Amino acid sequence: MELLDNRLKVVMYSMIISLLFLVGGLYLCQIYQADKYIRLAHNNRLRMIRFAAPRGEIFDRNGVPLAVNTTTFSIMGYPLDLNTPEKLERLSKILMRHGIPMDVEYLEKTIKQQRLAPYRVMKIVPNLTMTQMAELVADYDFPRELFPMSVWRRTYPAGSTAACVLGYVGEISEEELKARAEDGYTGGDLIGKSGIERSYEAELRGSPGQESLEVDARGRKIRTLDANPAVKGEDLYLTLDMGAQKLAVELLKNWKGAIVAMDVHTGEILALASSPVYDNNPLAWGVSGREWNAFMNDPSRPMLNRAIAGVYPPASTFKAFMSIASLEENVITQSTMISCRGGLRMGTHLFKCWKHSGHGSLNVIGALQHSCDVFYYQVGLRTGIERLIKWGRKFHLGEPTGIDLPGESGGNIAGAEWKMRRFGRVWGSGDTVNYSIGQGYMLMTPVQIARVYAAVANGGKMVTPHLNKKGYKTPENIGLNPAKLAIVQKGLESVVSRGTGSRAGRFGVSVAGKTGTAQNSHGDDHALFAGYAPAENPKYVAVAVVEGGKHGSSVAGPMVGELLAHLLSH
Amino acid sequence: MKDFLASLKEDLALTDRLMLGCALMLSLWGVFCIYSAGGGSSGRGFDYAMRQSAWLLVSVLAMLFIMAFGHRKLLEGAYPLFGLTLLLLLFTALLAPKVKGAQSWLGVGGIRFQPSEFAKIAIILVMSKFLSRYPPLDLKTFAAGLGVIMLPVVLVLLQPDAGSALVYLVISFGMLLAAGTPLKYLGSIVGLGMAAMPVMYFMFLKEYQRNRILVFIDPMRDPLGAGYNVIQSRIAVGSGGLAGKGFMMGTQSKLKFLPEPHTDFIFSVFSEEFGFVGNILLVILFIVLLVRLISAGTRSKDRRSKILVAGVASWLWFQTFESIGMSIGFTPVTGLPLPFLSYGGSSLLATFIALGLVASVYIEGVNSRHVF
Repeated sequence: MELLDNRLKVVMYSMIISLLFLVGGLYLCQIYQADKYIRLAHNNRLRMIRFAAPRGEIFDRNGVPLAVNTTTFSIMGYPLDLNTPEKLERLSKILMRHGIPMDVEYLEKTIKQQRLAPYRVMKIVPNLTMTQMAELVADYDFPRELFPMSVWRRTYPAGSTAACVLGYVGEISEEELKARAEDGYTGGDLIGKSGIERSYEAELRGSPGQESLEVDARGRKIRTLDANPAVKGEDLYLTLDMGAQKLAVELLKNWKGAIVAMDVHTGEILALASSPVYDNNPLAWGVSGREWNAFMNDPSRPMLNRAIAGVYPPASTFKAFMSIASLEENVITQSTMISCRGGLRMGTHLFKCWKHSGHGSLNVIGALQHSCDVFYYQVGLRTGIERLIKWGRKFHLGEPTGIDLPGESGGNIAGAEWKMRRFGRVWGSGDTVNYSIGQGYMLMTPVQIARVYAAVANGGKMVTPHLNKKGYKTPENIGLNPAKLAIVQKGLESVVSRGTGSRAGRFGVSVAGKTGTAQNSHGDDHALFAGYAPAENPKYVAVAVVEGGKHGSSVAGPMVGELLAHLLSH
Repeated sequence: MKDFLASLKEDLALTDRLMLGCALMLSLWGVFCIYSAGGGSSGRGFDYAMRQSAWLLVSVLAMLFIMAFGHRKLLEGAYPLFGLTLLLLLFTALLAPKVKGAQSWLGVGGIRFQPSEFAKIAIILVMSKFLSRYPPLDLKTFAAGLGVIMLPVVLVLLQPDAGSALVYLVISFGMLLAAGTPLKYLGSIVGLGMAAMPVMYFMFLKEYQRNRILVFIDPMRDPLGAGYNVIQSRIAVGSGGLAGKGFMMGTQSKLKFLPEPHTDFIFSVFSEEFGFVGNILLVILFIVLLVRLISAGTRSKDRRSKILVAGVASWLWFQTFESIGMSIGFTPVTGLPLPFLSYGGSSLLATFIALGLVASVYIEGVNSRHVF
């Protein structure tokens, strides 16, 4: 009996000690670490919901909408509300009834892909329109555990017509997130990936709204504690004229190439087309990895904006620059005559003129009009590469024009120094001869050519091409002699009125310009035309580059002519 | 009937009113906690609290009846009662509908009850009778005692209800200890149990039970899955602080971060709202109750009563220890109810029946003093 009583006491004391041990544990938790747990409990209840601001909308110069926001809806839910086949079947039935073809299998897959935890919200049906959402939610059988959430989507009404200008938005990538950590981006945010959307990201973006909510364990809102509304981004008006833009895209429809049209005095871009085109709408809504790869690996490279990043030999369009440089350097005057017998022999090599029978004797105006190569071979050799490079720098060749689009290329001004650096070889006079007709190492983008021609048209001022209406910058006067410039202008006028570019002048406006045919080692020659109108009081400049277009006169010239005529008549 | 009421009145005057007072206070506090855990009158709290109150009334009446009826008479019928219990457990394991993956409920005329709860009483009765008839002083009788207890343990594991099996084992261990079993025997079964743990883990435990053990070791291994409960419970308890957030003010339970707030995690609800001060009071009530239970045993001159009391105390102690420990991550999650406080009729009724037995033992102790 005594043994039993002793044992009972042992039982009792063990129980008391063990319970006191628990009190110690409670002390640790409730007193010692209370602050930590109070904070955790607080954070448990508080959920900061961040909602993206509607992006600033983009319009053309006449207020035609180019990039707008639409609201779509996603149906959200929690895994623990959809954990049985019966629930999925019921949901699938309701969706099917409203024309959303999602069977049980599809729903299961969707849920499985997103499932992280039973308490983490998932997107079950994405991209519903307002009507679809309203019908669905109003359905008597719609499960109450699911709820709609609005999502901003970017749409581009002009689609492929202006895609190369506008670019597109997409979900921010990890690298972008890292690079822009200080700008307050978070995963899932939309960001401009290319074009205007990218260059004016800061203006268009707006500031996201924030709402602090008290939520329950499933993250469902109980009440709003504090809210900062989202502020819409700045609307953007472009200098683009959608009429001209449509025409430019139409003109290039069956070709690869680019067209740029610009105000000669201000640098406002009125049309900027690159062909082939792509539609930016699917990109903004998200494409699959496979579609994206197909897109990027397309050999015709639709994503390359040829107007600003396509580099081409300027070919004979370069002769306007050559004329200015040699006249300014007093290498030639208006009356300097050079004889063309169809070629120029240098040592063993014969540099041919495009007209094998020769042009006979002509001055600079005649040489421009007939696009005589031999004349410019001689002029190039007389001026010398150093002075040509000097004048090239004045015209900012080899540098980006500063257009407000990302990914612009600066082309290549080349020169002796460059050749030594690049190839380790000395610049020979043959290189200068080629350079003089815009072939060889000299490379320019269509927008660079347009800028040079704008300077010819406006009396020697280098404008900054821009697409934002507020993007005007005072042009830089490079100090050309007006009398000498007038000679070149006269030559360019005669190109269209009597010479190689006559087909650009058949649209009812007086055009001055220059054809070009760039040798292409990969296939048919590229056709170029750069021109401005009206010739007597220039307003607009336009450049067309057509890959494999063979002759500047027949393909590119009419494009420029028609576009300039359109701009002047509207 | 008149005699019965008269003897009941006499018993009430003689029995341990402090013990009964503690039990009642804990139960009433439990009703308030259940009301709060259920979300108050806007949620299901009122409904839960009313049902629990009804069960409490039934339980108290049952306790009084058992007390007046006397533990001696019940001990006489221990073997048939034990046999009936084993049958019910077998029946439950085979036929009962599944509730959360375990078959532990039997429905009789609209009232569901858990045979595994009442089995605890049968085990206590039969073991106290068996162990005093055959004191486990040598290996043979010790093994026989173990054999008796393994029957309900195996049956309840079939449900599968590992939590109840654990309670049965702890009850038996306490009774074996109180019955004077040589310490080397007890030591060796503890050693054996430890050695068998890995085998049990891989052979008998279900996926969710293994997860509970794994998250006990490291709750952050699955913070939104299996470890979620532990973390949220610890946040509830810890954020209660010294004085608690106040009745009905617990955010963790109101906003449903706590799973099963009115049953398994009732202590977390309690601690969040009443804080460390409330916890101290609660633990004191439990300690007083346990001390009074044991003292009923030491007063008694009957071996059976002493062993019986050890069984009841071990049961209440273990579930209390486990339930509080679980809420702060000291012990793995088992889903055992906190005596008196957790919502659930079967558990409350069985607990009060056991208290009725002890109250009867106490009266016997008092009477024997008067006699001698």
